[in-house]
Amino acid sequence: MPEIKASSMEPGKKAKISNTGILFIVLVVLFALFSYVGRPFFFSVLNLIPMLNNLSFIGIIAAVLTMVMVTGEIDFSIGGNIGLTACLAAFLLSKGLPGWLVVVIALFGGAVMGAFNGFLATVVGVNSMIATIGTMFIWRGIGYTLSNGESMLAINPVIDFIGRGFIFKVIPFPIVIFIIIFALTYVVMNLSKWGRSIYAIGTNPMASYLSGINVKKVKFINFLLCGITASLGGLILTSLSAVGMPQHGQGLELVIISGIVLGGTALGGGKGQILGTLAGTLILSLLYNFLTIMNVYYYYIQIVQGAVLVLVVATYEIRQSRALKRV
Amino acid sequence: MAKPEKQYSGLRNFLRTPTPTLIGLYIVMIIVFTIADKNFLTVQNFRGIFNNLAVFGILASGITVVMIAGGFDLSIGSISGLVGIVSAVLMMDQYGVPTPLIFIIAIAIGCAVGLINGLIITKIGINPIITTLGTLAIIRGVCYFWADKNPRIYNVFIQNLGRKFIANAIPYTTVYIIVFFVIIALILKFTRFGRNLYTIGGNETLARLAGIQVDRIKIITYVISGFFCSLAGLLLISQLGSGRPEYGTGAELEVLTIVVLGGVAVGGGKGNLLGVFVALVIIGSISNGMVMLDVPIFLRQVVKGALLVLVISIDALRNRRNLQLY
Repeated sequence: MPEIKASSMEPGKKAKISNTGILFIVLVVLFALFSYVGRPFFFSVLNLIPMLNNLSFIGIIAAVLTMVMVTGEIDFSIGGNIGLTACLAAFLLSKGLPGWLVVVIALFGGAVMGAFNGFLATVVGVNSMIATIGTMFIWRGIGYTLSNGESMLAINPVIDFIGRGFIFKVIPFPIVIFIIIFALTYVVMNLSKWGRSIYAIGTNPMASYLSGINVKKVKFINFLLCGITASLGGLILTSLSAVGMPQHGQGLELVIISGIVLGGTALGGGKGQILGTLAGTLILSLLYNFLTIMNVYYYYIQIVQGAVLVLVVATYEIRQSRALKRV
Repeated sequence: MAKPEKQYSGLRNFLRTPTPTLIGLYIVMIIVFTIADKNFLTVQNFRGIFNNLAVFGILASGITVVMIAGGFDLSIGSISGLVGIVSAVLMMDQYGVPTPLIFIIAIAIGCAVGLINGLIITKIGINPIITTLGTLAIIRGVCYFWADKNPRIYNVFIQNLGRKFIANAIPYTTVYIIVFFVIIALILKFTRFGRNLYTIGGNETLARLAGIQVDRIKIITYVISGFFCSLAGLLLISQLGSGRPEYGTGAELEVLTIVVLGGVAVGGGKGNLLGVFVALVIIGSISNGMVMLDVPIFLRQVVKGALLVLVISIDALRNRRNLQLY
């Protein structure tokens, strides 16, 4: 299998253990540590299954957002997208639409949101960091308008199944979605021409353009996929909580983006792996779940989340500048 | 690379900035709002509009300096919230800190947070948007240390700070804004520091090669932004009459819209305070107009987000340096 990782392309670097490997070791150590310190609550079915369910919607968004970030763009509007999708789904259910149609419309809504971000970033040429901060407020504002600021009950067999259903009566359905999306993104990023062009664009957009890659198209479709996945995540969250409320997904962009960067994706693009993202998001969800188990006040968790984002990016930047000095 | 732009003098230079368009836009807006609601064009209403501009105006003057130098600051709302709650708590009876000391502490907090932002951004070299997004969350979390306190403001001096009017028509706060804008405009125009800001924003590598101490100047811009955040925080608690940990949430959205609408380029290197002032009045009037026209509160957030996206799209189209191939 011709598996070329971004890190193995660096000249003169003979790492015995890849960075992703280190992250997985850290993950195991943290898991053992948290299980011991947080006993008896942390390592129990009552905690681990909800944690995995929560991880599933964070993870799928992180996986697809990695694709966006490797091209050198970013999407902050995922949290707003989740809020709007949750409200939209609950709103449509309250109007008596069948469950499958609600799911289709919600995913279509996600596609529209992603397409709008992609339009701003590629056609208009706005810096996607600022553009998606603006759209984040728009999506959440529409969510508030739809729900009038209240949380709306969202109970329907189809919606229930997305977040709380089981396959073969044992495997939670969100976990299945999670595994499928990670497998898909892994194949796309590592084994397909599409994935190769994503890495090429992130490394050098001009060279990619000259060698015949339609840079705008690739970026646009990545944004589109990111929008669809974020709304799928929104549907999972709606189903898990059984309500659609505009506050759903607030501040999630902090967690997801720090998880991705922890996994080794460069903010400037060109570097990053799906497995790294998997390890990064797993570590951070473990950490935040542990803090919740230890009864830390929500706003203090927010401090940790902000600090983790800055710290992770800072570590990355320092390593980057050291590597540059060594060459 | 950009074509070397022709140097125009005085009036022609002014006409090339977006400011005249903004003034025209504002006149049209006044006419539309006046037709929609006859109470819009009254002294009473404009007194209110200008008094509500205070916080955003002060924040805008700080972030303009940061953005001209090519930086970015999303944490302004959180910093002013932190300064507000800390000062309000210090003013409570059981602490009884004298007013001048409160001012000193407030300004020290704002400048310290700005300094931290600046150090992280320049010395470690993290993207300013990511850094300030992180500090935004951190500082807002710190505000909630005082969530159980609900201090009211009884300090008469602080109360008067943002509520009094000269001759019952001109708010004190408008005077502050004009004074600060004039000072900063003069600094930007006539001091070496100000000119260096434009150089750094235009081309950082070039500025470095030209011997400008880029890092130091950038750190100073974030400290300036922090300073204005602390003044804005004091005005917030003065106008709202109490201290709450959530004050100033989302201010960055509105201030960003104002500053970019006023013609400050998102990438840095361009911008003048006259444009920012006109944009400030425009955004303030839009907020006021939406209240007058009974736009539902949640829809106002959509309108504000849409305005930001519109404004940055126009900025991107205007400042496009070369053909966008990718």
